[in-house]
Amino acid sequence: MVETAAQTSTAQAFLATLKRDLLIAYKRKNDMVNPFMFFLIVATLFPIGISPEPERLSEIAAGVLWISALLASLLAMDNLYRADYEDGSLEQLLLSPHPLYFMVLAKNIAHWLVSGLPVVLVSPLIAYMLSLPEGSFGVLFLTLLLGTPVLSLLGSIGVALTVGLGSRGLILAMITLPMCVPVLIAGTLAVEQTQNGASLMGFLAIEAAMLLAALTLAPLASAAALRISVN
Amino acid sequence: MWTWFHRLGSPKWFYEISGRWLPWLTAAMLLFLAVGVVWALLFVPQDYQQGLTNRIMYVHVPVASISLAFFPMMAVAGTVSLVWKMKLADMVVKVAAPLGAWFTALALASGSIWGIDTWGTWWVWDGRLTSLLLQFFLLIGMISLRSALEDGDAAAKACALFSIVGSINVVVIKYSVDWWNTLHQPATNFTADPSQPNGPEIWVPLLLMVIAVYLFFIISVILSTRNEILYRERRAQWVEELVSQS
Repeated sequence: MVETAAQTSTAQAFLATLKRDLLIAYKRKNDMVNPFMFFLIVATLFPIGISPEPERLSEIAAGVLWISALLASLLAMDNLYRADYEDGSLEQLLLSPHPLYFMVLAKNIAHWLVSGLPVVLVSPLIAYMLSLPEGSFGVLFLTLLLGTPVLSLLGSIGVALTVGLGSRGLILAMITLPMCVPVLIAGTLAVEQTQNGASLMGFLAIEAAMLLAALTLAPLASAAALRISVN
Repeated sequence: MWTWFHRLGSPKWFYEISGRWLPWLTAAMLLFLAVGVVWALLFVPQDYQQGLTNRIMYVHVPVASISLAFFPMMAVAGTVSLVWKMKLADMVVKVAAPLGAWFTALALASGSIWGIDTWGTWWVWDGRLTSLLLQFFLLIGMISLRSALEDGDAAAKACALFSIVGSINVVVIKYSVDWWNTLHQPATNFTADPSQPNGPEIWVPLLLMVIAVYLFFIISVILSTRNEILYRERRAQWVEELVSQS
């Protein structure tokens, strides 16, 4: 048994972690559906709270979608390490001989596939309901596609730092939301500026740069934070 | 050459040495502050556009300068605390967060008093203001993270890591909000040429004020760190002797 364990490559361990998290999410459908429904509900509150007029809605539509996606991502964050921390499998993950970076990355990717991707996929529908100008649908979709993984990766640091705490919800929000501001700015500016004739490529390049930086750096910070939280 | 660094590992040594520095630092601060305040408020010529209001600069610029500079400083202390497990570095991280939050709040407050006169509004969603506000939120998050983690060692490591992540993030936030919306004037270039409008009679008192406020910040950090040392070492013999003497 020891020999087979030693022969597991990092790639296999990465895929096994990814598959395990996706399977758990599939079996606990509530955890999967709730962030998505939360996104829809928050997006619905804005027209009710501000104005149902299409002209005013079209101005704020991109921001509403981004803020709703950010809040949904934050709400879903707690599932990322919580259950694993409580049942002890997080400790097993830390004890594994493979680099923790890849294990954390696998968990983050699984988490984004479950909580971020559905939000991105449904965003054109909500954008239509919020009267976003039709030319901006593609921009919004692409920036959300590149931006929501960054939200998951950044949020993962905050969750890893607070996973052992009893009352962690508000602290998580306070340390995560300010860090997500650059993504929010890039996303909403892209929609606004392309409506005024700016080129989309520059914004996509900035979003992609943020994504690459977050992919390389954020899991390292999350891994360090997990080692601190799980003693 | 590393002895000074190893000595920093001993809170007792720092307590003794900082006790000897404090009178000198305080005297220097009072001197710079007295000369700076009197010069800035009474003798600096009025700005031809802003009039007397411009004198707020002598408070706003030093305070804002610290609120930008202390986050990297805290990250350096956090790195030292993570790498060498130095208790003193963690104490600095701990006391710098609330002090930095105060200075950030003061920079925002003095800026908005300046703003009501020159921009005609207390608050605008301008790049620099927004990034300082977000930095303030991050600091409040950091303080509540520390108070929620009761275990001293885990709190030390978590806050050290957060100070590093946060200082990188503060830079990204700063550039992204500048890109988003900017009204704030850029930093002015001061010259040594007395015939220029921003000559020495403007910036020398500003420099004195900056030095005075930096000294005040350093003294505050040292005083809070000394309190923290006494609290954490309260069961050590030297602290008990110190308390029984006084």
